[in-house]
Amino acid sequence: MGQDKLLVITDQVAVSISAVSDAIKKLRKEDVVEVDPLIITQATSDSLTSLEFSSIDDVVSLFKTLEFPSDQLLGNISRVLKPGGAVLFHFDSQTIGEQMKNPSLEHELILAGFLDIHRESFGMKCKKPSWKIGSSFALKKTSQVLPKVQMNDDDDLIDEDSLLTEEDLKKPQLPSVGDCEVGITKKACKNCSCGRAGDEEKVKLGLTMDQINNPQSACGSCGLGDAFRCSTCPYKGLPKFKLGEKIALSGNFLASDI
Amino acid sequence: MCLTEKKRENQLLILYASQTGNAMDAAERFGREAERRGCPSISVLSMDEFDPSELPNKEAVILVVSTTGQGDNPDSMKGFWRFLLQKNLTEDWLKGVNYAVFGLGDSSYQKYNFVAKKLDKRFSSLGATPIIERGLGDDQHPSGYEGALDPWMSSLWSILYQRNPRLLPNAITPDDTLMDQPKVQVIYHDTEEGLSPMTTSTDFNYLEMQLEKAHSMNPAKYSGKNRPDCFLKLTKNNLLSQVESGKDVRHFEFEAVSCAIDYDVGDILEVLPGQSPEALDAFMQRCNLNPESYITVVLTCFQVQVQARDNENRGFQKPSSPVKLKSFIELTMDVASASPRRYFFEVMSFFATAEHEKERLQYFASPEGRDDLYQYNQKERRTVLEVLEDFPSVQMPFEWLVQLVPPLKTRAFSISSSNSAHPNQVHLTISLVSWTTPYKRKRTGLCSSWLAGLDPNQRVLIPAWISKGCLPPPPPSLPLILVGPGTGCAPFHGFVEERAIQSKSVTTAPVVFFFGCRNEEDDFLYRDFWLSHLQKDGVLSEEKGGGFYVAFSREQPHKVYVQHKMREQSSKIWSLLSQGAAVYVAGSANKMPADVLSALEEIVSNETGVPKEAASTWIRTLERAGKYHVEAWS
Repeated sequence: MGQDKLLVITDQVAVSISAVSDAIKKLRKEDVVEVDPLIITQATSDSLTSLEFSSIDDVVSLFKTLEFPSDQLLGNISRVLKPGGAVLFHFDSQTIGEQMKNPSLEHELILAGFLDIHRESFGMKCKKPSWKIGSSFALKKTSQVLPKVQMNDDDDLIDEDSLLTEEDLKKPQLPSVGDCEVGITKKACKNCSCGRAGDEEKVKLGLTMDQINNPQSACGSCGLGDAFRCSTCPYKGLPKFKLGEKIALSGNFLASDI
Repeated sequence: MCLTEKKRENQLLILYASQTGNAMDAAERFGREAERRGCPSISVLSMDEFDPSELPNKEAVILVVSTTGQGDNPDSMKGFWRFLLQKNLTEDWLKGVNYAVFGLGDSSYQKYNFVAKKLDKRFSSLGATPIIERGLGDDQHPSGYEGALDPWMSSLWSILYQRNPRLLPNAITPDDTLMDQPKVQVIYHDTEEGLSPMTTSTDFNYLEMQLEKAHSMNPAKYSGKNRPDCFLKLTKNNLLSQVESGKDVRHFEFEAVSCAIDYDVGDILEVLPGQSPEALDAFMQRCNLNPESYITVVLTCFQVQVQARDNENRGFQKPSSPVKLKSFIELTMDVASASPRRYFFEVMSFFATAEHEKERLQYFASPEGRDDLYQYNQKERRTVLEVLEDFPSVQMPFEWLVQLVPPLKTRAFSISSSNSAHPNQVHLTISLVSWTTPYKRKRTGLCSSWLAGLDPNQRVLIPAWISKGCLPPPPPSLPLILVGPGTGCAPFHGFVEERAIQSKSVTTAPVVFFFGCRNEEDDFLYRDFWLSHLQKDGVLSEEKGGGFYVAFSREQPHKVYVQHKMREQSSKIWSLLSQGAAVYVAGSANKMPADVLSALEEIVSNETGVPKEAASTWIRTLERAGKYHVEAWS
């Protein structure tokens, strides 16, 4: 109270005291004579540039036009408002019916950063968030109420989670619990963080120097390359070779750590 | 929708939603198998190429869908799915439509095959008739999803045949012995006909032309892109991590050279990687191809007929002027990174002259050999070049190579710069992908290693596309809680740059950022940048109600991650949330987003005293209200 700064903006050339008073009462429940509002007429989006930011306590908008204030104007209102300040959009009585049919009024106010958005009989009311920089909050630890989340009008879609049954939601049966041994069954996840992927790499048969210098193959397939080797072949990962000839290890190959 | 419209008789529609190409492969396989069984009309389409309002007109639809990320739909399914979820669709909207769903998933995830399960349920609740119970492919199965696919597919064909023999006339005796025909024809030209005698002055114009021609000719679906949004030139390639750390994380800066670049923070840059000249040469040599020849690639007459009959115009038939063979391969065919599919091995077997190679290839292509193929090929990440070198007697005609070599795909990265802060530039933060294969071979990621090796002094032009990701740019008045460990900090680097600029003209809401890395020495990415914003009047400063918290996971014996830091700031997080803050989470590893979510639920529950379930539900409504965003990559 007292030195509160109240801003009234209107697109009209002139506005009556009673109209202003009426609107202020809806916002503040006090008479216009008890406050000294700053009134801007013929207001456009630019009209607020001369005002300092966070300098106004509350704003009342008395626009006659059918259109809801633009993003730019909303942005400017937000800029000049102090945190926690309220805005009242008082629609013209002749056009209010049409205006209130617009489903995106809340949406536009949300995008401009306002909270506590309500539809009223006369138009819209909302608040600028009141996070005070550097101050502490008294937290209601035992409150059972969570803040209402403003939703967009996307409720013409069904809730897809309702399509799942109890059965679907149960954690899937993994093949043989306790299957930490690396083998053919459970594979490491793509983003393995438990180390299984690393272990899977390590499960290899070691390769001796002799096997590299003088490779032999009982089955005859080892020298043909990975495509022909069995899963237990000691030469897996190595390039092709001829029996008895030293294997040429390419730069890509990591010698197995025994 | 006209209800009296007659259904297209004897037509099979196969729709797929693929994220990494597996569902697409499976869908194309269904298509080939249907073709072998004599199906007169088959359509195989990605869900984003199909208008869902046409569904009621279809006689038989097979849907092949992957579950990706945190139980999410693949991107190509989003529009289709949204359409299906509409409340105003009636219970008999799909009456008379026969359908079957096959899902590709991984049973080690909680939300195993959720996409397929939900799709199946939605279809039946809209009145469609299931042909067969849904099939669920599982990566955890020894042969991956194909373990479930083969038996499921057999049952599918027999039931379909019973219901309508004319749909699959050869179902009893499918044509296995007759080989399929290639879908394309390659025409060789002497010179680059059609090119104006005046050489084009700018190098990117030439590249653009080559790219467009090559893409318009390639039948494989590389990613549905044609003309790049812009061409970029690399201006900076700076290592952010310490060499000793064993990680290679870099900051890249690019300048747009072809046209002005325009993007929002949170957007994604997709680049087409280059391929190593050595690999390309090796490939062309191996396949006896002349790099200098000029070619055009067109659909065969049969394919043109098939497409015309289906009235699905892919805009592919128009022949363009010839393109250099080498360019065509370089720009559209992935020869040294992606693994070929099973069908590639099948076709190879027909062109193998050495008996033991032919046998082995046939074995790999058979159901019995599926496991071994998986070990040799997919698990080991065998490249096309490697496979061809392992089977030296195979001489595959170029037509088949064009059709079957995996298409060169673009790679997507979250943009780490703000366009307002850096006009005409775009920055990326990329970690080099490297791993050791099961056979102990060292491999690196195609795109990350190519970029890491680029020198800003060489004028290499990079085709790039801008697209929206999962992180919408926040208005300046929206308080933010950002969680981005490791390279997850990339988009938020852009967010902070952007907000710094905005704060010069409007009041900006607080930003709180949780970062994580291994230790302060090795990989504290953009350390100076974040700290500078902690200073007075910085975006993350206390004066502005902001905050910056780092979890160093390896600085102490026990692990400390971002979620631990979040719990330490419980009251701050709650105060921001209750003032309408939005939460953004980005980064790699599939556990992180879930851990962050869990921490948030705890915070909400502890600060307000409500039970955990209520907190959980409240956060879900945050998601639906567009105040909770996750961009996770693997």
